[in-house]
Amino acid sequence: MSRVSEGSSIHAIQYSIAKTKEKLEDLQLRGSNLKQVQRPSDDPVGNMEILSIRSKRIDNDQFSRNASVAKAQLSFTENAIEELTELMVKAKELAISQSSNIFDPAIRKSVAKEISQLHGQAISIGNRRLGNKYIFGGFKTLSKPFDENGKYLGDNEQTKIEVGKDVFVPITFSGKNVFFEKNDSTLTPRSPLDNSPFQELENQFEIDPNNEPHFKENEIEINRLPASKEKAKFPEDGQSSIFAELKRLENALVTNNHEIIQDILPGLDASIDRLIEVRTTIGSTINKVDNSVNTIEKQNITNADYKSKIEDADVAELFTDLTRQQNVLNATYKSSAQLMNNNLMKYIN
Amino acid sequence: MGADLFSIGRSSLRTSKKSLSTTSHNIANANTDGYSRQRVTAETNAPIQSGKNVFGSGVNVKSVKRVHDRLVEKKLNTSISQKSYDQARTDQLSNVEEIFNEINSEGMNKILNRFFNSFRELSNQPENEVVRTLVRDNANIVIKDFKRLSQSVTDVKNRLDSQIEATVNDANSLGGTITELNKEITRLENMGGETGDLRDQRDTAVRKLSEFFKINSYEDEKGQYVVNIVGGGSLVAGGSLNKLRLGRVAGDEVGSYKDEARSEIFFEAGGSTTPITSKVASGEIKALVETRNNEISFLRGQLDEMAHGLVHVTNAIHRKGYVNKKIPVDQNGNIIDKKDPNFFNLPMKNKITGINFFKEPLDLKQASQYIELSDEVKDDLDNIVTGLEPNSPGDNRIAVAISKVQHEKVLGQGSKTFEETYLQSIGKIGLETSKSKINEEQSKGILAQAKSIKERLSGVSIDEEATNMVKYQQAYEASAKMIRTADEMFDSVLGMMR
Repeated sequence: MSRVSEGSSIHAIQYSIAKTKEKLEDLQLRGSNLKQVQRPSDDPVGNMEILSIRSKRIDNDQFSRNASVAKAQLSFTENAIEELTELMVKAKELAISQSSNIFDPAIRKSVAKEISQLHGQAISIGNRRLGNKYIFGGFKTLSKPFDENGKYLGDNEQTKIEVGKDVFVPITFSGKNVFFEKNDSTLTPRSPLDNSPFQELENQFEIDPNNEPHFKENEIEINRLPASKEKAKFPEDGQSSIFAELKRLENALVTNNHEIIQDILPGLDASIDRLIEVRTTIGSTINKVDNSVNTIEKQNITNADYKSKIEDADVAELFTDLTRQQNVLNATYKSSAQLMNNNLMKYIN
Repeated sequence: MGADLFSIGRSSLRTSKKSLSTTSHNIANANTDGYSRQRVTAETNAPIQSGKNVFGSGVNVKSVKRVHDRLVEKKLNTSISQKSYDQARTDQLSNVEEIFNEINSEGMNKILNRFFNSFRELSNQPENEVVRTLVRDNANIVIKDFKRLSQSVTDVKNRLDSQIEATVNDANSLGGTITELNKEITRLENMGGETGDLRDQRDTAVRKLSEFFKINSYEDEKGQYVVNIVGGGSLVAGGSLNKLRLGRVAGDEVGSYKDEARSEIFFEAGGSTTPITSKVASGEIKALVETRNNEISFLRGQLDEMAHGLVHVTNAIHRKGYVNKKIPVDQNGNIIDKKDPNFFNLPMKNKITGINFFKEPLDLKQASQYIELSDEVKDDLDNIVTGLEPNSPGDNRIAVAISKVQHEKVLGQGSKTFEETYLQSIGKIGLETSKSKINEEQSKGILAQAKSIKERLSGVSIDEEATNMVKYQQAYEASAKMIRTADEMFDSVLGMMR
């Protein structure tokens, strides 16, 4: 028989009440926001996963926003090119109608006038803006890409944005690619990370013996072509453009030279083919954006599901536990009260 | 003969009274912390032989002793040290963990993420001034949070230091108390006095000391009571006290940088001073020191590495680009200013490239505390660079490259991304905290058990005292009656003479 003293029984009561209450408090906290993980120590690995899924969610929201921007810009560009295609088809029809040597000078004159108008329209399409941005200027988005004669003032660059992790799509098409005869480098998709300081970084981030990461400053050299060389690569004059064709057509009509008009037709066809090709590229780019958005949405659902499994409390289990723990506490109170209020002194007179 | 009856009665009265007063002392101290119940040991007086008969000569109080077991006490002290260690460690780690808890609020992980995504947004519309504001705001939030974390970690470290200081003072004053009690106990015992209460007080002091560190106490061969700090030295030996000393120690030198100063505990004995801070076996001090030396300095290092890495990677990319302003070029497209021999040393306002986003240079140590935007970016939003080419407002390649740093393994010698570094640090703290919580629960259980064993043995039971009280009271009444009987007997004898 072990001896029971006042101290030992009071201590036992205190210990059991404190323990039950601690458990109850924890359960109540979980019940208050229905979360299984309240702090990193509740589930250290789970906590890491929750935070990492949250980051992915923020990334995905940004990618979705980028996708909307890309789609808006691409659709706008597509519309412009569609208009341009119609314009060129019209020019071609007019050219065909005027390609024989039998003609009415008055009609030819008015056709010439019409072609001149088309030329003006083409330039206004070339200088089209979305918001304050010229869409056909390459990187030179804030200045007019074409002067009134159709001379290209922009560059041959494409702005690309990320619409899904590591999925880059072009959102601009330079005037060079759209309005000018094809040359080899047109529309070859490049990552914006090419030629950017980023690639070199991987090698430059070195660790020295003092454990201090630093860059070897001198080695970061970017293969940036000097602007002058870049210009030399696409000589303005050697390359035929929509504007040049229209101008030639107009001149031929004015000078009544039907041979030149016939000569121009294949050039117009080539331009129309190129425009259709650009539109196809835009269409497939929009598809790529849509696919990426779908992937992101699917990923969000999977992630939310997974996160909920780690983070959220099982409600049924939680409240069963809570009720049980409350019962335990009540029972402890009752039994303690009986133990505390009784001793022999009561019965001695 | 009658006189004998009187003296037996008197001895019985005295013993019963002493027993009753001990019972009442026990009842009075039933709830006194550290009190051990006391018991009167009575023995029969030496019998007197008279002729063939032997007459008993009554009873006397041999001693009043407390009910106590040295091994139980030792087990209790060890449990106290262990529990104090686990509890203090859980408390401290929970504090630290709360600083990095992002479950129900915003934290560094989200903030860094937003920072990188703001560059992603900027890559959508590099021409847009408003988005540049967003980028700068987000960068400022990153800076603020680095400073918040750095400050919080420093605060915890300072608090730990001052707690260590406070415990040392407490330990010294407890050591003093024990020394005084030792002297008093020796003096009383030499005079044959009762020392149960004083011994209880001494045990209580040792128990309090056990909260700070693991204690080993014993009586040595000369009967001196010794209190040893396990891993340290003897704090108390009989009537002499070896005080612990507290000192601020300058931080270790790491490269050009000097670590913060920290508090250390020294043990002084025989003219030599030994640091014992990291040697104590368990108890609160061990928990405080361990948390400070391991988790806190680990976190500080991680924060600094992140801040330092962020500044350098972002800057290295940012420097490559050109400002979002019209840059004069000659007819060949070459930048006119570049002919200026001082091109790279131009005053801040005229700089067109090579601009830092964050302020440089930045030491690795304390990077999280001193991270700041560069003056250029602070002054002018157009100095936030997006393009790799001059005069190209639509060029977003720099912005894209900075946003991609988010998923690049640039930290830990190219093994971890920012997010991985941060989450792994929190994971480590979380793991330690949960381990410590489990240990705490366990050691609380063990302590409860040890306390219960001790209380069962030494604690006062009111029921027991009640029965004793009745028993001694009756013995007292019987003795009184005995004396009256003796008196009546004496009277009869006197009456006979008349």
